[in-house]
Amino acid sequence: MTGKTTLMIVEKISKCYQMGEVEVRALEDASFEIYDGEFVVILGPSGSGKSTLLNIIGGMDVPSGGNVLFKDEEITLYGDKKLTMYRRNSVGFVFQFYNLMANLTARENVELASEICENPLEVDLVMEEVNLTERMDHFPSQMSGGEQQRVAIARAVAKNPDILLCDEPTGALDFKTGLSILSLLNKVNKNHGKTVMIITHNAAIADMADRVIKMRSGRIISDKYNKEPIPPERIVW
Amino acid sequence: MKKFNLRLYRHIRQAKGQFVAVSLVVAVGIMSYVAISLSVIDLEVGAQRYYELNNFQDVSVELMKINESGIEGIRRMPRVESAQGRIFFKAPLEVEDKDEKVNVGISSIPDAKNRINDLYILKGGWIQDKRRDVLVLEQFAEARGIEVGDMVHPQIGGKDYELEVKGIAGSPEYIYLMEDEQNLLPQPTKYGILFVSEEFAQQVFGYSKAYNEVLIKLKNPNEDGIFKDELEKEIERYGVQRIIRREDHVSDRIVSEEIRGAKQMANVIPLLFLGVAAAIIAIMISRMVKNDRTSIGVLKAIGYRNRDILTHYAKHAFIIGALGSVIGVFTGYLFSGPMANMYQEFYRIPFKVRIFSWQYLGIGFALSAIYCIGAGLWGARSILGIVPAESMRPEPPKKIGKTYIQNITFIWKHIGFSWKVVWRNVFRSRKRFIFLSVGIAVTFATALMPAHMLNVFETMFYDQYGEFMRMDYEIAYNKPLSERSAMEISQLVDVTDIEGKLEFPFEIENGWKSKVVSVVGLNPDTEFYNLTASDGGVLRLSHDGMLISEPMAYTLDVEKGDIVNLKNFIPFKDDMRIKVDGVVNQSLGLNAYMDIAFMQERLLDEGMITGVMIDSTDRVKEKMEDVKNVSSVNSIADLKNIFKEFTKLTYAGLSVYALFAGIIGFAIVYNSTMMSINERRLEFSSLRIMGLSKEEINRIVLKENLIMTAFGIVLGIPLGRWLIELLQTSFQTEFYTMTAPIETNSYIYAAALTVFYVLIAQYFSSLKIKRLDFIEALKNRIS
Repeated sequence: MTGKTTLMIVEKISKCYQMGEVEVRALEDASFEIYDGEFVVILGPSGSGKSTLLNIIGGMDVPSGGNVLFKDEEITLYGDKKLTMYRRNSVGFVFQFYNLMANLTARENVELASEICENPLEVDLVMEEVNLTERMDHFPSQMSGGEQQRVAIARAVAKNPDILLCDEPTGALDFKTGLSILSLLNKVNKNHGKTVMIITHNAAIADMADRVIKMRSGRIISDKYNKEPIPPERIVW
Repeated sequence: MKKFNLRLYRHIRQAKGQFVAVSLVVAVGIMSYVAISLSVIDLEVGAQRYYELNNFQDVSVELMKINESGIEGIRRMPRVESAQGRIFFKAPLEVEDKDEKVNVGISSIPDAKNRINDLYILKGGWIQDKRRDVLVLEQFAEARGIEVGDMVHPQIGGKDYELEVKGIAGSPEYIYLMEDEQNLLPQPTKYGILFVSEEFAQQVFGYSKAYNEVLIKLKNPNEDGIFKDELEKEIERYGVQRIIRREDHVSDRIVSEEIRGAKQMANVIPLLFLGVAAAIIAIMISRMVKNDRTSIGVLKAIGYRNRDILTHYAKHAFIIGALGSVIGVFTGYLFSGPMANMYQEFYRIPFKVRIFSWQYLGIGFALSAIYCIGAGLWGARSILGIVPAESMRPEPPKKIGKTYIQNITFIWKHIGFSWKVVWRNVFRSRKRFIFLSVGIAVTFATALMPAHMLNVFETMFYDQYGEFMRMDYEIAYNKPLSERSAMEISQLVDVTDIEGKLEFPFEIENGWKSKVVSVVGLNPDTEFYNLTASDGGVLRLSHDGMLISEPMAYTLDVEKGDIVNLKNFIPFKDDMRIKVDGVVNQSLGLNAYMDIAFMQERLLDEGMITGVMIDSTDRVKEKMEDVKNVSSVNSIADLKNIFKEFTKLTYAGLSVYALFAGIIGFAIVYNSTMMSINERRLEFSSLRIMGLSKEEINRIVLKENLIMTAFGIVLGIPLGRWLIELLQTSFQTEFYTMTAPIETNSYIYAAALTVFYVLIAQYFSSLKIKRLDFIEALKNRIS
């Protein structure tokens, strides 16, 4: 894709797990590139290796083979310390089950992440962006699933990362709330120019992506651009 | 505040009960350390200052008679700095209650500068009229309500002397006042010291320009051992009875033993408490980390370093330690004041010494920091192994098989549902089971100690005065008399049984160890002493050997069959080698026993006795009051009563130990139960949905705890026995041994106390169960 800056290069990544005497190959020769500002959806059924891929890209796991280059630096050669710094300053995670700290308010959860970053965004602005100004001082237990996921997105965005990695962000939400979360991620991508990568098994979500990478049994089976991505509000599942 | 720290703060606030309980364990440990250390230092320094200020003797000598030129000879010895003669005799004191026998030591005090064992005048002034003025020892004056200006009536040589109390004084020689080594407890109402002028003492005791004791100060006090041998030769001709080095001086020895024991306690108690606290903290943090596995993964994903997270969890432990040590150091410092006062009043040091040593406070903080942070890091170490990617995935269910009890189908079939839940949990949560059981075992063992100690004291005294010594009265003479004197006494009072007794101090040596002890000569068929070995076997006095008490065997490291040297101070009498025939089951006192005939023949003079023992229902004390040559009449009943008074004080001390056990028990059970409740919220929620009430769930937890308590108590029995053995060994002194067997009622008492503490902890845990939102627990997946 000419004219765009390459953010990440994934080259022949593979991951094997040893389960007793059996070797499980979760990923095999996965290769692709991610460009700055892209909205990418990685689509695949459970067990297809998409979460493993996301974890490796996010510096949360290390591959058995292959390499990942982020802004021309090979993160697969990073030690624990450098990987931590990579996660801290370059990556924002959004998880399926939000994973907020129960004893911190919405705002405090966001600050927990922003206060360790080099170049964080203003927390109040981010909270406004995710439409949680009114609920800032509520604890997770006082919020709905959708609200909690908004906090999780705010937490990831406030770090001002280069890429947002979202693992089934709508997996635990109802349709309507799911759509609102997708809209928010779309907004983050479009308004802030952040690269967003969503992994999901929900094929409908793929329609809103700039690019869809399909996976099956640990392999990438297709990597296509959407000619006309549709706005999240029009997605139905 | 950093949000990471805010999370820590909120977490602590949420689990404040658990934090406070563990902090309390730390606090008690540190408090004991600070309070005991500071007060003991005050006592030690106070005694030293008192000794220096009042020129306390390095060596003293008891002898038959020494004149001024003999003392001058001692003064000329190269190691001697100064020497002072003294006349000291015991005499009865006439008191209002004719039935009460009170003795006083009448001690001469020179009218000179730089007196050895100088007095510390507390009330009144110095002796003015040397023929009728007297100074009274503080403890005795206080116990008997004697004031300056009162008259006292010692009876010397059968004559009543009326003396006016000019002053009340303390003496470095009588910090702890005991009539002799045989009495463990002070009896300030029964025995005191009157200080009189040299002129008066020489006149009434017939010691013109002569003395029967010498007090010596050395240029180098550390040379008292070498000096003792030199002195023996120098004063051989004066009929030396005893040479007492400062370390053997009764009062100083008791204080030194107290200081040694207290210092040992100051080291042991904190380690016990901090050890328990460290175990609770390590388990608490490791459970916390286990429960926070996903959160830790998220924190790592966000970009927190291992070091940050490890520090975060270690801070929990640090805060427990900091809270505990602040409370401990503060309360320890507060308690050290009254404790030091108590010490300095019990051991009569007339001025208050208060030394504020930052060192102990610093060590207190450092100790708790090391233990708590160490335990915190140990508990949190699994953080390092948490891989963020894996921690996001729910843990696979544990592979659980049947528990042991489920395999016994006959029993399992007949157990009700709630008991099934209980037994399954007990057997499945093995770590919890071990932690709680060991914790209960420690609680039980800690509670067993005071229970046993009470028994030990009772056994020690009741066995000594009743089982071991079986006479009703002991009558002591002020000088050796012929055996006929026993007949005379039996004519004065109605006796059912009477035996003469010869008691004299001798130095017994075993290698480099030596001790001046009271050797008692008895009739081999004595009815008044129950001479048995610790295995219950009867011991007989042989015609050429001797029996020794347990404390003496311990002090001199002597066993049955050993041959020791018996040093005789009496002029023209030889030292002798003598075989130890056996060790007498006697917990109190340094004694040796010999056949009276053998002792008379080889060591003293034939046909002489120093007192009698009688069984009588007569008014012995009253009838003996004016009898010539009788220095004291002691009834066994009186000694028992003194012990009863003493045990009242002991109860307070032992209750503190029992409370300590309670704090440990409470902290362990409460924390363990709270951790269990937090981890089993899903299980309890399911039970609630199945229709169990909160009370029924509470009962399940109670049953689990009680089963583990029962197991812990069983485990605590050997632990308690071991602890008591350790305590008995470390507290064995030359004055007493504590080898009494542990009574069944001590076990029952300790078990009851343990269950009581468990129930208190259970009550507080049940409040948490009542407050638990089970529905929330079922739907929640956030940590």
